[in-house]
Amino acid sequence: MDFLLFILYPLAFIRPKWIIPALLVHIASIVAAAEHYGRVPLIGLHDTLGFLAFSIGTVYLAAAWRRTREQFTYITLPLILVLLAASAASPVSAGPLPPVLKTAWFELHVILSFVSYALFAIGAVFGVLSLYEKEGTEEINQYRSLLLGYVLFSTAMIFGGIWAYLAWGTYWLWTPKELWTAIVWLFYSLYLHARLVRGWSGPKVVWMGIIGFVIVMFTYAGVGLLMKSSHEF
Amino acid sequence: MLSAANSMKNFFLSLKTTVWLLLTLVCLFFIGSYMMPVHREVFGPMNENLLFNWAVEVGLQNAWASWWFFAVLAALMLLTVNAVVCSVHAITGRWPRTDFLIRISPQVIHIGFLFILLGHLLGAGWGYKLSGMMREDSYARLPGDRVLYLRKIDVQSDESGYTKNWTAEASIYEHNTLAKSGQLGPNKPLFYRGAGIYLKSLNFESGPAAFLLVARDPGAAWALAGGILFSLGSVMVLVLKWKKA
Repeated sequence: MDFLLFILYPLAFIRPKWIIPALLVHIASIVAAAEHYGRVPLIGLHDTLGFLAFSIGTVYLAAAWRRTREQFTYITLPLILVLLAASAASPVSAGPLPPVLKTAWFELHVILSFVSYALFAIGAVFGVLSLYEKEGTEEINQYRSLLLGYVLFSTAMIFGGIWAYLAWGTYWLWTPKELWTAIVWLFYSLYLHARLVRGWSGPKVVWMGIIGFVIVMFTYAGVGLLMKSSHEF
Repeated sequence: MLSAANSMKNFFLSLKTTVWLLLTLVCLFFIGSYMMPVHREVFGPMNENLLFNWAVEVGLQNAWASWWFFAVLAALMLLTVNAVVCSVHAITGRWPRTDFLIRISPQVIHIGFLFILLGHLLGAGWGYKLSGMMREDSYARLPGDRVLYLRKIDVQSDESGYTKNWTAEASIYEHNTLAKSGQLGPNKPLFYRGAGIYLKSLNFESGPAAFLLVARDPGAAWALAGGILFSLGSVMVLVLKWKKA
């Protein structure tokens, strides 16, 4: 099924809406994996990179609905394909869910986190486009994408806190992963406030929206690989 | 004197102050994420005890490694003042009644954020955290003349031997009278009068035993209320700003 995705996603290079077949096949593969393992397939790099690619594809479809084929597609689709390739190259986490992950809070926390990551990714793409346009339309698109991403990310953090309180008796743990999560949240809070300040708004803020996604990717992949935390399962 | 007070007020009223404080916090957390794994001996016990106790007994003694943590507290304190001053100014200033939602929604977010900070503060300084291994059919003394009885431990495995779930039957006695009984498990603590009993792990080396945590966090309800307010305010801002952007 992974192989089929590598054929279907590039169809969007022809016309943005042609990403729909890829998304339908992708969601079918996620459901099939859930059936096969008897759990939501959101554990380990293979599952989560694939889900991130799917989330970016979904946000792309919504954002590109009225767009023609142009730079927005040329930047976003390669990103989706790179994430898919990384997912395919990562080992599959087979087996049932560890008992601590058998809760709706886990699913809500992870799904909302990855959808917000996807919005941050699309916000970064709009940021890159904004650097080359004068009208300011892409800057507004970036703002909308990042604002929605921020709201979902904040909600994901709150759900994660509730889950942690039920699982470990605390809604916050002092570990590097949690610190990086706070960095992401503070950084986008900074973006949203800086956009209102003269001297910061404009290209500086647009760049912040781009750098934010680099921080997100490091928080997601880098911290897990380099540092110990409660987010290892 | 008045001009000093005015410049202080202007400093805390400025969005630039917010921006610089947020940027400072980003940098401090970045430093912290590097320092924590490097100085495990200092930061290892950070989550095991009340944060206030750790800060006094370990943090201050090792300020060369934990200075960023105290700087975070200072920056959060300034950010709190900044948020309060800005919110009070936004609400008490003159504004057309038609702008009520757009004016009030960021303040709801601020209040939510402040509640979350208050929750952390209460949890860091008050309440308690006790942990230890308890054998099946044994008793442990808890604060407030309470006794915990661990009745039975049960592990459920699948055909391949993989642990699907684990549970423990526990009871709390207060003043020698049964106050509450229930089942503990992953994500399933037993709460009694603000204290939660958590089943962390099991051990069968010398008979069935459970590693339990008993925690009372008086800030948890504040943090939850803050989280709800924050989400509510964020959704309001999203809806209102989306249209206006």
